[in-house]
Amino acid sequence: MNDTSATRSVGTRSVGTRSAGTRHRAAIGSQAVAFTAIRGLSILTIAVLGLILGFILYKGLRYSNIDRSAYLPYAEDAPDGLVVAVNSGRAPGALDWGVLYGMFTDEYIDWAKIDGSDDDLTPIAIDPATPEGARAEAFLFGTEEAGGYPAWGGLVQTASTSAAALAAVAETPGAVAIVPEAAARGAPGVMTLPLRRLVLAVNPEVAEFVDDSYIEDLSGRDVMDLLSGRARNWKEFGGPDLAVAPVAPPEGSVLAAAVRSAGLEYPAGPGSPVPGGGLEYLAAIGGTSGAAGLAFAGDAAVAGLPAAMLTRRTSGWNLTIGYLLEAPRLSGRTGGISTIIANTFLMLLLTVAFAAPLGLAAAVYFVEYARQGPFVRALRLGTETLAGIPSIIFGLFGFLFFVNILGFGFGLLSGSLTLTLMILPTIIRTSEEALKSVPRAMREGSLALGATKLQTVARVVVPAAMPGILTGLILAVGRAVGETAALLFTMGSDYQLAKGLFSSARGLSAHVYLLFSEGISFDRAFSTAAVLVFVVLLFNFAAKRLIGRMNRSAAA
Amino acid sequence: MHDSPVKFSIKGLDLWYGKTQALKKIDVDIGEKSVTALIGPSGCGKSTFLRTLNRMNDLIDGVRIEGSVLYEDADIFAPGTDVIDLRKRVGMVFQKPNPFPMSVYDNVAYGPRVHGVKDKAALDEIVERSLKQAALWEEVQGRLRSSALGLSGGQQQRLCIARVLAVEPDVVLMDEPTSALDPISTAKIETLLDELKRRYTIIIVTHNMQQAGRISDKTAFFLMGDLVEYSDTKELFFNPRDERTENYISGRFG
Repeated sequence: MNDTSATRSVGTRSVGTRSAGTRHRAAIGSQAVAFTAIRGLSILTIAVLGLILGFILYKGLRYSNIDRSAYLPYAEDAPDGLVVAVNSGRAPGALDWGVLYGMFTDEYIDWAKIDGSDDDLTPIAIDPATPEGARAEAFLFGTEEAGGYPAWGGLVQTASTSAAALAAVAETPGAVAIVPEAAARGAPGVMTLPLRRLVLAVNPEVAEFVDDSYIEDLSGRDVMDLLSGRARNWKEFGGPDLAVAPVAPPEGSVLAAAVRSAGLEYPAGPGSPVPGGGLEYLAAIGGTSGAAGLAFAGDAAVAGLPAAMLTRRTSGWNLTIGYLLEAPRLSGRTGGISTIIANTFLMLLLTVAFAAPLGLAAAVYFVEYARQGPFVRALRLGTETLAGIPSIIFGLFGFLFFVNILGFGFGLLSGSLTLTLMILPTIIRTSEEALKSVPRAMREGSLALGATKLQTVARVVVPAAMPGILTGLILAVGRAVGETAALLFTMGSDYQLAKGLFSSARGLSAHVYLLFSEGISFDRAFSTAAVLVFVVLLFNFAAKRLIGRMNRSAAA
Repeated sequence: MHDSPVKFSIKGLDLWYGKTQALKKIDVDIGEKSVTALIGPSGCGKSTFLRTLNRMNDLIDGVRIEGSVLYEDADIFAPGTDVIDLRKRVGMVFQKPNPFPMSVYDNVAYGPRVHGVKDKAALDEIVERSLKQAALWEEVQGRLRSSALGLSGGQQQRLCIARVLAVEPDVVLMDEPTSALDPISTAKIETLLDELKRRYTIIIVTHNMQQAGRISDKTAFFLMGDLVEYSDTKELFFNPRDERTENYISGRFG
C-alpha cells in the first residue's frame, strides 16, 4: 500500500498536479492513524486480559469481606471466671455467646455450622445441683429468669463434677463444657475457646422501622461515635429522628469490668450512671428514648432489648495450603478442594487416554491413508462442525448415550467420554495440520529405505509431527479442564474422591459453578477459580517447555 | 573401458503422468559396479527414470507404466514383486538432504531397524561401518546421539548416503545429490562416489556436466522424455553421435 501510494504520488507530481503531495501525506497520515489504532487496541486487549487474570488470581488468593454480626469483636478468655472447654483437637477460634447458648439448647447437633468440622456436638453440663454446675447454668441462662438445660431428650449430657466434664471433653472430639477457669487450667487434652458476648443494646424505638428509616449496619467506629457522644442523632445512621442517649454500665458491675478490659469504656450520658445492678441498667436503656449501651448478649435478650447489627471488614488469605490439601466438607462450605483437584486430574488423564490415540489415529487416517474423495471431505466437514458445537449439546448427548443408554451412570467414565467427544475434533484438526507439515521428502526418504508405509508413519512422520500434535492436545485439554456444562450432566457432582470409573465426581470448574450458583461461598468459588486458572497456566507452560525441548533436541 | 555385467535392463519403457508422457520408449542396460550419470535439461525425464528404478513413482497418483524394467533379470513391475525388498536393494539419495528429525545414530540405524535388526552390537557395527563408508565417521563419532538436523548440509547429505548404505543395498540411485551443497561438500561426495562404485552400482542424476564428466563411467542424455544418447562418458562428451547431445553439452540450450 505504501509502495503504490508513493509511486502514484511521484507519477502525478511529475505531471504537475499539486494535490498529489497532499494526497500522499494524507495516505501516510491515515496509515499512521491506523497503526496507532491497531497498537492501541492490541495493548488494550492485553491489558484487559491481564486485568481479568489478575483480578481472578487476586480474588482467589485474598478475601475481603464485610462480616455482619451483633457481637463486638472482643473476646473474653474467662468470662465470669468460667471457660468454654473443648477437645484440644478442635480448631481455635472465638465463639459468639449465641452459639454457646445454642449448643446447650439443642440448636446445633454438630460442629458443621460452627467451625466446619463433621464432629457431632456433645454438650456436657455439670450437674446443676453442684455449685460448679449452678454457676455454669446461671452463666448460660441467668439467675433470675426461669430456664435451664432442655429437660430431656436433648443432646446435653450431665457430668457430676468439672473434673468428670473435662475428662469427657478430652475423650470426645465434639464435646464442649463450661467449667471454672481454675479447674480447666492444665487439664490434659483440653483447650478453651474465648467468648464474644458484648453487643450494642438499643432502645426498641431506635430499632423500629419508622417512615422508611431503619438504622443501618454500624461499623466499629460508629459504635464508638454513638457511645462517646460524638454522634448526636440516630438519623446519622439512617435511624429515626431521635437524640442519641448513651447509657454506661453501673460502676463495679461485671459488665463494666468486661467493657473496661475490652478497652471500650465510654462516658456516662444523660441516662446514666445507673445505680444498682444489671437489671436496672438494662431497664434504663429500655426506658430512655434513643438510648444505647453495651450489654451482654444474654442479658439483652432476656431484657427484650434489640442489638444493633455491626459490620466488620475482614481480609486474609483465601487460598491456603490447607485449602489445597484438605478434602471438602458440607458441599464445599468448609474444608478444601484436594479431592476435587484429584478428580480433575483423573478426568483429564482418562480423557487424554481416550482422545489422544483416537484423535491421532483419525488424523493419520485422514492424512496418510484416506483417498481424498467426497467421503473424506464429508467426514472432515463433520469434524469441523463438531468443533463448533456448544459443549452443552455434548453434555446432553453424553447424558443420553453414556449415562442412560450405555448405563455408565453419572461418573468419571461418562464424563471423560463426553469430554473426549468434545475435544476430538480439535485434536484431529491440529494433528492433521501437524502431519501435513511433515515434508514429503521425509516420507520418501523412509520409503526409499524399504520401510513400509506403516513403519514410515509410525517411526518418522508421527515423531516429526509430535510437537504440533502435542500442542493441539494440550490446547484441547485446556478446553476440557474448563468444561462445566457437559460434565454436570455426565460426571455428576460428588465432591469426594472418585472411587472408580463409575463413581460420580466433581471437577474444579463444576465446583466453581456449584459454589457460586448454590450460593455456598463466593470466596471459595474464587479461590477454586484461581486454582483452575493456575492449572490451565501450568498446562500451557508445561506444553511450551515440552515443545521447546523437542524443537531444541530436533534442531541441536 | 569394457562393459560390466548388466544390473538393470530397461526395454521399451513408457511412462505417463495422467495424459502427459514423461518417458518414451527407453531402452538401456546399466552395468553393475559402475557410475551411470543421467543428464539433460529440466523436465527431460531423467529424475522420473531414476525414480522408476525403485518404484518410487508408485507414490504418485495417475502414473502409468508400460515396457519392462528388469533388475537382475526379474521384472520389477511384475505382479507379486516385493517393493519393500526392491527398495532395500535399490537405495536412493535425494536432491535435498532429508535426514529424519532424530539422532545421527538413529538415522543410520533406521533402515536396519525397520528390516528387523534389533541387536545393539550389530546396530553399532552397522552404524559405524556405514558412517565410515560415507566418510562421515570422523566428523560425527563424538555426536552420534545429537540430532541429525544440527549437521551441516554436506554432512546431512553424507548422512543420507550412510543411511542408504546401512541397509546394504546393491544399487544406489542419486537424484542430484550435490545440487543443494557448496563446492567443498560436493567435492567430498564426489570422492566418496569414486570409492563407492567399487562395491555398488550407482546411478546419478546431475545437472552439472562437469560432475558427470568427472565421476561417471557411462552417461545417458535425456531430452523431452527420449533417451537421446547413452554411451561411455568420454565418448559422449568428446564425440557425441547425436547433434542434440552436442548442442546440449556445448551449452547451446538447457
